[in-house]
Amino acid sequence: MKTVWIVARKELVDMFRDRRTMLISLLMGPLLVPVMLLGIGSMVESRMRTQMESTLELPVIGTEHAPNLVAFLEERNIRTVPGPDDPDATVRQQEADVILRISPEFGDQWRESRPARVELIHDSSRQDSQIPVSRLMTVLAEYSGSVGMLRGISRGVSPEAGFAVQVARRDVATPESRRAMALAFLPYLLVFFSFLGGAHLAMDATAGERERQSLEPLLATPARRAAIMSGKILGACLFGAMSLVLMLVAFKLSFQFAPGSLRMINVSTPVMAMLLVVLLPMVLIGTSLLTLISASVKSMKEAQGYMTVLMLVPMVPTMVLMLNPVKDALWQFAVPFLAQSQMIMKLVRGEVVSPLEWTVYMGAGLGAGLLLWFLASRMYLREKLAVSA
Amino acid sequence: MILLENLHKTFKAKGGPVHAVKGVGFEARDGEITGLLGPNGAGKTTTLRMLYTLMSPDQGRIEVDGIDVARDPPAVRRRLGVLPDARGIYKRLTARENVEYFGRLHGLDDATIAARIDRLAEALNMRDFLDRRTEGFSQGQRTKTAIARALVHDPKNVILDEPTNGLDVMTTRGLRGFLRDLRSQGRCVIFSSHIMQEVAALCDRIVVIAYGEVRAVGTPDELREQTGLADLEDVFVRLADLEGAEA
Repeated sequence: MKTVWIVARKELVDMFRDRRTMLISLLMGPLLVPVMLLGIGSMVESRMRTQMESTLELPVIGTEHAPNLVAFLEERNIRTVPGPDDPDATVRQQEADVILRISPEFGDQWRESRPARVELIHDSSRQDSQIPVSRLMTVLAEYSGSVGMLRGISRGVSPEAGFAVQVARRDVATPESRRAMALAFLPYLLVFFSFLGGAHLAMDATAGERERQSLEPLLATPARRAAIMSGKILGACLFGAMSLVLMLVAFKLSFQFAPGSLRMINVSTPVMAMLLVVLLPMVLIGTSLLTLISASVKSMKEAQGYMTVLMLVPMVPTMVLMLNPVKDALWQFAVPFLAQSQMIMKLVRGEVVSPLEWTVYMGAGLGAGLLLWFLASRMYLREKLAVSA
Repeated sequence: MILLENLHKTFKAKGGPVHAVKGVGFEARDGEITGLLGPNGAGKTTTLRMLYTLMSPDQGRIEVDGIDVARDPPAVRRRLGVLPDARGIYKRLTARENVEYFGRLHGLDDATIAARIDRLAEALNMRDFLDRRTEGFSQGQRTKTAIARALVHDPKNVILDEPTNGLDVMTTRGLRGFLRDLRSQGRCVIFSSHIMQEVAALCDRIVVIAYGEVRAVGTPDELREQTGLADLEDVFVRLADLEGAEA
């Protein structure tokens, strides 16, 4: 146990003396992430606001066929402009979010009280057009409804007979959860930095030390190999935890001073402390995994080759959840990376995490970390490890 | 006191297995310097690695002060001071911190470590660079730091793998004096080299190794007698059977 601490302390001293590397690994994240979070977050917000409230400029083909409809649109803050000749191409080239085409028969169909035809041309795969399209749809539905109602009245039919079902919407999103929507990438960033925060130290302490030919004398001391390795993992974990704490502090400060409604996100100290607890197993998993890799590869370069893949791993659950949202279930708290995403989202959305979920989460996270630690210690016992190339 | 018996070690390699050590065995006594002499690739380093428990032999037995290496490797490592072939030191730590780190790993307390460093720095003449970071050290300063690190726990047995590699004349001389001191303190010193003069100048007994086998054991005079040659280099070339390799 004493050996573990001696090794961990030496690794940290060694790391902190390498000023530039230390500053990059320790401060880069905490400085960069708030900028990214706030920058992207406020961009999304201001975009949403302008799209919702500003005058929507709508290209319309065939304005002359439905002057009433056009007047109605104008009343609803939608200004019509003459539409292009080839609406499909215009939308595809992203020159317009949505185009309305009024068919030449509109007038005749209107006078005969038949459903008159209009066409919306838009690209549903473009996120940006969602708000204009829904705005236009709402206005069109409103127009259709009110005209239909007038027609009913003129024929002596109760306007209510026209509505078989009345739909009332109730949005249960809490203010916190609505903010969290804009922060879908938050878990990725936090998981990423806790997963790889101690990466540099972990790789350097094993693969680097071997390359610098100092591993052989180290292993010739009476200290047990498992203890030496644990010391290196502990050092990397402490460093990773330090960078994580800095990250959370930066995160808290930047949301406290954030403009507008982003300030509503829950960054109270208890939540931050819980986030730290949630992310600590990830630090252990990351450093143990990198130590395992470093002990099994031939050189530092080879170890760094794995980094590219490892950087993508934390992204997988975020992407899966984005494409295929799943309902909360207990098993999710046992799957590394997915579990962290779920926990972080729950916490920043201000939801309650049950004791059972906490138990499963911490059990699975620490279990995975210890398994990797065990595998790494097996690797450390190999004869090949000590013999430098 | 170190005893090696019939050691064998084979490595897997691309072109088939390499039998690096084939039945090496010798004895190194306390109060003597035993020289392990052999050309590059003779199996010296592999033999020493098996001795300081970094590798386990495929066959054979090693005893250090009567302790079987296979049975209790940590106890054996405690009795050995090892300067391995790979002797990297931590360049962001000072020479003193490098030595302290190993002292702590040996379980020594701070006062003992400080006293030992004091003594070693005196003996190895490393006062003027002791508290400097080792980045930018000369080869000699690095080797001295590595030797001090290897001996901080005051081991009874000292193993040095080609310690004079890359050192200038004066540093080599100083190192020889240091090794003689170790001998006069009654320690068992094993010293490997590929230079006959080096070994002859220092060693009480020489073990000539070539092609993974022991070719001869004896004092320098005994080896001269055995071959009937006067020049030590000729003796080495003959014993190690290097004439064929030369051509």
